[in-house]
Amino acid sequence: MPTIPGWVKSLLIALVLLSFVPLALIARARVSTSPDPRIHIVHDMDHQEKFRPQEENALFADGRAMRLPVAGTIARGELQADDHLYRGTVPGTNNKEWARKLPPSVTVDEELLARGQERYAIHCAPCHGLAGHGDGPVHRRALQLVNQKKPGMAWQAPKNLHSDPELILSSATAKKPAGYVYHVITNGFNNMNGYKAQISVEDRWAIVAYVAALQRSQGAPQ
Amino acid sequence: MKNPLDKWLSQPWNRARTLPFPRWVDHFVKVLGLVAVAGGGYVTMLVAYGASPKTLAVGYAPEQPVPYSHKLHVGELGLDCRYCHTSVEETAKANIPPTSTCMNCHSMIRKESPLLAPVRESFASGQPVEWVRVHSVADYAYFNHSAHVTRGVGCVSCHGRIDTMDVVYQTQPLSMSWCVDCHRHPERSLRPASEVTNMTWQPPNGQDPYEFGKSYAEQHSINPPTDCSTCHR
Repeated sequence: MPTIPGWVKSLLIALVLLSFVPLALIARARVSTSPDPRIHIVHDMDHQEKFRPQEENALFADGRAMRLPVAGTIARGELQADDHLYRGTVPGTNNKEWARKLPPSVTVDEELLARGQERYAIHCAPCHGLAGHGDGPVHRRALQLVNQKKPGMAWQAPKNLHSDPELILSSATAKKPAGYVYHVITNGFNNMNGYKAQISVEDRWAIVAYVAALQRSQGAPQ
Repeated sequence: MKNPLDKWLSQPWNRARTLPFPRWVDHFVKVLGLVAVAGGGYVTMLVAYGASPKTLAVGYAPEQPVPYSHKLHVGELGLDCRYCHTSVEETAKANIPPTSTCMNCHSMIRKESPLLAPVRESFASGQPVEWVRVHSVADYAYFNHSAHVTRGVGCVSCHGRIDTMDVVYQTQPLSMSWCVDCHRHPERSLRPASEVTNMTWQPPNGQDPYEFGKSYAEQHSINPPTDCSTCHR
């Protein structure tokens, strides 16, 4: 039997070994992360010439595919004429007097309070704390950074929702009643930014109702 | 058994001829055949393994203009997903938050951080921070976030443990077979709708997640459709 020369054998073995390189590369790609763009082998119609939300469109000066309504226009049903519901004030007072109650279109029931509790936990608890004592995780973290003398800290402690008698919603003499709290959630106060972009009108009132319940739970005067 | 080549060569009229190939080639061809058969299977396997979305799409971790850490904000501070991704329960898309959301805190916290410079510039100019999208499906697939999260599919099912990621990366293939798998067996990934953003949810009382999902799907009539027009419209 004529034997295969050594160099041919070596070449063959080398080729077989080389063929394991792509396998190793693939195996590595499977278990590691990479900032490189994904390899897209078959494009079909995966990337279409259309604009989805929050995408870029070079046609417009600001580069946004999503457009704002034309200035000065109001969409149907968006007039927001109800002062009580949208601004928390007593109708007919030219927005000068805060409403003491929730708007008539908002029914206070268990469902509303549960919704308020959930929304409070999402949007308010980070600073004000789950129970409203002004001790949320963001506040605690900020204090930590202040204590470590990190630069650029202008932190102001968030309000304790139980300490300020003016903020007790259910009190008949409250200087800052339900409508005012709605207004603060909407437009902000001091260092707190308004949350109108993050929380819907109905949810803001649900939060107001929940805050009143929270204050009662902490022994506020009725 | 005599080699047919030797037999051929033993004929006197062939003896003077020169062989076109060295004699070992005759042996080598058999080895080569074996390598070709094995190699064919190997290459097929390699393509299937390498071209799978589990290889090509999973692990994508684009570099962002601001090194926002979900590990810090979600994992340590405990911010709910919906604090920033506000539209996830109402619309198809889970929005990237506007810069003003960042500034709710960062107008007071670490105001001078160079890492936050793009956020401050964006807030001052009104031009958005150009975040890089991590998760996407093909443009002809119409995925709807609200349809999933309000029915009890947790964020973690498709996005993985975001609360442990400094840099967000894709953990699931987001391929069609992967979608259809879950549409056929929703009970594997169901939880109460109130727990969707909980990254570590477990069924109560040590219940088996599969059993929980089964009864939850029944109670809430969750029968995800699997016809084409569900996703392709």
